[in-house]
Amino acid sequence: MIPAAPPPPQRRDLLRQWAGTPLTALVSAVSAALAIWAIWIVLDWAVLSASPPQRPMHACAETAGACWRFYVEKSRFMLFGTYPYQDHWRPGLASMLLLALSGVVGLRITGRLDRITPRVLVALWIATIPAAFLLMGGGWAGLDRVDMSRWNGLPVLLILSVIAIALAFPLGVTLAVLRHQDRWPVLRRAAVVYIETMRGVPMVTVLFVGVFVLPLTLPPGTRISPVMATLVALILFHASYFAEDVRGGLQSLPEAQTEAAKALGLTWSQTMGLVLLPQALSRSLPALVNSVIGAYKDTSLVVVLGIHDLTSTARMAFSEPGWGQYALEAYAFVGIWFLLSCAFLSWIGRELHKGQSARSH
Amino acid sequence: MTTFKSLVTATASSLVLGAAPALAGPVMDDIKAKDSLICLVSPTAPGFSVPDSQGVFQGFNADFCRMAAAAILGDASKADIRGVGFSDSMKTIVAGEAHMGSRSITRTGTRDADEGLAFVATTFFDGQGFMVPRSLGVASAAELDGASVCAEDGSTTLLNIADWFGAKGMSYRVENIADKTARLEAFFSGKCDVYASDVTALSADRQLSDTPGDFVILPEVISNEPLTLVARPDQAFEAALFWSFQVMLNADSLGISSANIDEIMSQLDQKTPAVQRMFGADSATTDMAAKLGLPADWAYQVVKQVGSYGEVFDRHLGADTPFGLVRATTPNAHAADGGLMYPFPIR
Repeated sequence: MIPAAPPPPQRRDLLRQWAGTPLTALVSAVSAALAIWAIWIVLDWAVLSASPPQRPMHACAETAGACWRFYVEKSRFMLFGTYPYQDHWRPGLASMLLLALSGVVGLRITGRLDRITPRVLVALWIATIPAAFLLMGGGWAGLDRVDMSRWNGLPVLLILSVIAIALAFPLGVTLAVLRHQDRWPVLRRAAVVYIETMRGVPMVTVLFVGVFVLPLTLPPGTRISPVMATLVALILFHASYFAEDVRGGLQSLPEAQTEAAKALGLTWSQTMGLVLLPQALSRSLPALVNSVIGAYKDTSLVVVLGIHDLTSTARMAFSEPGWGQYALEAYAFVGIWFLLSCAFLSWIGRELHKGQSARSH
Repeated sequence: MTTFKSLVTATASSLVLGAAPALAGPVMDDIKAKDSLICLVSPTAPGFSVPDSQGVFQGFNADFCRMAAAAILGDASKADIRGVGFSDSMKTIVAGEAHMGSRSITRTGTRDADEGLAFVATTFFDGQGFMVPRSLGVASAAELDGASVCAEDGSTTLLNIADWFGAKGMSYRVENIADKTARLEAFFSGKCDVYASDVTALSADRQLSDTPGDFVILPEVISNEPLTLVARPDQAFEAALFWSFQVMLNADSLGISSANIDEIMSQLDQKTPAVQRMFGADSATTDMAAKLGLPADWAYQVVKQVGSYGEVFDRHLGADTPFGLVRATTPNAHAADGGLMYPFPIR
């Protein structure tokens, strides 16, 4: 028998939730007032007292609100920094590739785009990462070579977040497996030491080690650019956090899973690859998404190493003499970018949460 | 350091041989082979080097990169100007991945003694000073006993303050704020009484306040900061840089600028011998060009494409810019006006 559907929630419930008791009524009124006030300030700044983009720059001096002309003049600079102007399509294309691929992965995790198998996704990553570097670096097929000191803005942010996370993930899974298994005690200990050390050190320290110590370990005569050194440091750092997320998933699996796999005659690697890891990964997804959001936002710390990501190019945009009063516009640009990208990531987190609670019911 | 030593030996051997028509050293050859001159500047130094909306570095320091490219390659736009942090830029030059640096590096004894770097020509004489709110009513730094000072942690600024206050037997308190924007904000909002930095930086930073008129820069300058061009050691390259700079200084004293150079060239035979020696077809500069391996009209190209020293100063830092520096009141005034910019004879 199909159970009767519960009645739809009544509007009065909503009213009761918002203003059932004097206290909730007060809280609701205050928060509504605050929200209206905040929206009014933003609206006033961005629209009502703003200077529209078609008006010239000098008109901005008299307006209290946003100077939209600033974005016309400086958007490309904030996105791509000192990359040669006529070649901006290259970092643009590289950024779009990385963004599109991240979007596809995000949608796939939430259960959409089912036709794209994990195998295809891995192949896409393997193709996209070198493609991004080749596009940015040039030196082939008539593309001018562009030094890494000119890689600024959005593409650097994406390389240091998306590529670092993409490469840290397999390393993290490997570390988690090594820490979880007991066939090779030496490797297990090594994984424990590595993970605990990395997690015990602040990210800024790891970055400084990457940029100032890593080059010393290379054979003499070779040099590694700060962007590459930072990328390596970030991969090694994020991997330890991913490893702990995945280990949480592995430990949550009942022992019976391993025993059942053994009883079926599966080898150790088959047990791990076919039985344990798939379940562990799907269980650790919410924690992984959480780590990814943290890792993504931490990327802006690379400013301390003299790498110019989006936050840094925004600062440079208003450092040009005569542009100093447009700091708010520049930071708003960066803020909107991070708001949108982090909103996407947390949307994935919420979708996963929904999926999980649906499954556990 | 092996690269540096081989550089020196190569330079030395080319000197010893001397038979070659040009003195061109390995750095000079590298610049010509690449047809591009890699020059490092500070990524964000308003007025000195900061990228414009197209991402091209503009400013006082960036123009000396263009000066070198105009002199050596005949085209100022062949300067590959890259924004790199301070310690990285030193390493990059020593490792041979850049040809020169124009980034407000103070020439000090120990830095000059390091191998792999050659200081060439001082383009800007700066010094450390103090800025205070007008409301404080202080007219001299000697009245700052017990003040709280906002300064950058770990910089020579703090060392200079310690020296200066120590010598006067005055006490002070440092507010360490690493981030420049935050530090300035703290000063403007009154969290510290004094803001210390190089005098030029002070006048630039003052512009970032909503009310620049509320702050005064005190007359005392407590340190000497000769900001100097650095090059990878190569005698021909260093000479080319040094004398290009001298051409800009000489042009300044002769009243020649990028605006009037073409007019002067068209009636060169009516000009003074000093002008003819700089720009004539068979002159001191063409003689130098042959020996250093420069284009014959290098002096003209420097003035035409970059300008005289005074022109470059006024374009980026002068009275019509937000910095509003009056060159005659700084140590960068012409020697004839009591400044330190002394043009060497080109002959």
